[in-house]
Amino acid sequence: MIRLDKVSKTYRTDKVETLALKDIDLHVAKGEFVAMMGPSGCGKSTLLNLIGLLDRPGQGSIAIDGMPLKRYADRQMAKLRNHTFGFIFQRFHLIPDLRVIDNVELPLLYRSMGGAERRSLARAALEKVGLGARMDHYPNQLSGGQQQRVAIARAIVGQPQVLLADEPTGNLDSRMGAEVMDILLQLNGEGTTVVMVTHDEQEARRADRIVRVFDGQLVA
Amino acid sequence: MLRNYLLTAWKVFMRRKLFTAINLACIVLTLVVLMVTTALLETAFFPTGVEGKSGRFLQVYSIYSESADRGTQRTSRLGWKTVERHLKHLPGLERVAALTGANQVSVYQGDRVSELDMRRVDADYWKILDFKVLGGRLPTEDDERAGRMVAVLNETSARRLFGDAAAPGRRISVGGQSFEVIGVVADVLHMNAYADIWAPLTTFPSTDYRSRETGDFTALLLAKNAADLPRIQRDVERAALGFVSDDPHRFALTRFWGDSKLDVFARELLHNYDQADSGGARVLALVGAAMLLFMLLPALNLVNLNMGRTLERSTEIGVRKAFGATGLQLAGQLVVENVLLCLAGGLLGLACTQGVLWLLEQSHLIPYLEVGVNLAVFGCGMLLAFVFGLLSGLVPAWKMSRLDPVHALKGNA
Repeated sequence: MIRLDKVSKTYRTDKVETLALKDIDLHVAKGEFVAMMGPSGCGKSTLLNLIGLLDRPGQGSIAIDGMPLKRYADRQMAKLRNHTFGFIFQRFHLIPDLRVIDNVELPLLYRSMGGAERRSLARAALEKVGLGARMDHYPNQLSGGQQQRVAIARAIVGQPQVLLADEPTGNLDSRMGAEVMDILLQLNGEGTTVVMVTHDEQEARRADRIVRVFDGQLVA
Repeated sequence: MLRNYLLTAWKVFMRRKLFTAINLACIVLTLVVLMVTTALLETAFFPTGVEGKSGRFLQVYSIYSESADRGTQRTSRLGWKTVERHLKHLPGLERVAALTGANQVSVYQGDRVSELDMRRVDADYWKILDFKVLGGRLPTEDDERAGRMVAVLNETSARRLFGDAAAPGRRISVGGQSFEVIGVVADVLHMNAYADIWAPLTTFPSTDYRSRETGDFTALLLAKNAADLPRIQRDVERAALGFVSDDPHRFALTRFWGDSKLDVFARELLHNYDQADSGGARVLALVGAAMLLFMLLPALNLVNLNMGRTLERSTEIGVRKAFGATGLQLAGQLVVENVLLCLAGGLLGLACTQGVLWLLEQSHLIPYLEVGVNLAVFGCGMLLAFVFGLLSGLVPAWKMSRLDPVHALKGNA
């Protein structure tokens, strides 16, 4: 599904050059649940951003479904992100000015899809995460756990093949965190590939595989 | 998608009301100035009101003559003889009218003297221009032929001279001549219509005017339909080439042109008396460029304000990019938002323009000004608002579309 070969990433500022990732070889199989662990600043989020095509590697190559992405233009990358990936962020990143249903609809705006169909898919996604009754609320009217569930609904509304979750429970208490984990496991059980960054060993153990990152490199 | 854009735009505007109000004020002020200018230009140059037929009439306003060696040149208004001999009988015209300029005269009434502007016109003048008669009647061919000393006043002058009493039937003394007022018409400002008093040509104190090739006349050439105008322009040009001056040794070549109102204005402004091109297109282009330039400064200010607003929204931009928005789609979103704000500003501006025009009318800074917001001004105003929206939205939109999603998501745009 996702293959990274000898991927490196360096960030440069005026004076400093920081090697964020070095020679990463990673393969995530279709339907797999991969947990990514490591200390803060080790490069987990950078790796997740590279997998999700939010960033480009300095060296090495990334292939999705066997297709290398090196020469993809902005428009093609955007299309691939829209159809293949769903993102869940630690800080939810819901648009505060839009109602829950409008937030969930957002990925579908960038597809040729009619308003009624968008609405119906968004409603179904919200019902799946148990928030069918909160469609007309605004994000600030929901608890943290509910906001993350809205973010999950937004991530799955376009039926992506891969869910990329960057510390999805990091801002939640343990009960809400557990609820979110249950939803992710349920989605994985339905065939969605999940790659999750976490600091929580217990959560990571619920994944099929744990990948550990240290100083920008994968460790066994 | 548009609904989502509209919702976001509305919420973004409402999030910082003062910011939005400053933006709107900036847009409204700019557009009011531009729309007032547009309304005045429209009234001056487009077929409206009393000159509603100007879409199918041409004006021959000036006559230009030069010696064979081009050493001597003369530019003047037309003489009556030129109108009569060379223009009155051009083929295919519905009517030809001769009118003098509006010249200041002293009107005596008892021990009171009023300075008013007077034109002398022929009977066709009243048939080409659509004056609104408020009382009495307009002069006829019969009045002209008989040389009757009759005059028409505009509403303001009638009130000034006679108060609330009916003016028709009363007498006025102009430059030692006594006229009977036979009619009162509504006040008008238009180029060929403006005056306080009108009298037939034949009321001139002498018949000298009939033998002059230059003088104080303009000819109005009314075509049967607007499509005939280019042909008539060619006929006028040909008539000028066949013109033989009263002083042929001094003036070997004469030129006069059949012009639209804009062309007359441009020709007088640019002194293009000796060429067919009046420079009207250049004048229009200059006006357009001046308007764009005028929009540019507030647009730059708005660009700055929009940049700040864009940076505030970097997380939203990151999220949209993560979920598949292309740079172009994001740029389109901001441009749409900005154009919408400008269109709202345009609507407010139109209301303010109507108010400013009303104040301008009431102030009498420009006598007899009657101008309002009509469909053409509305359309032009909305177009200006749209252009303003594009001008001020494109740069921030382009910058926004190029934000790196990873940085944007961190809020470090």
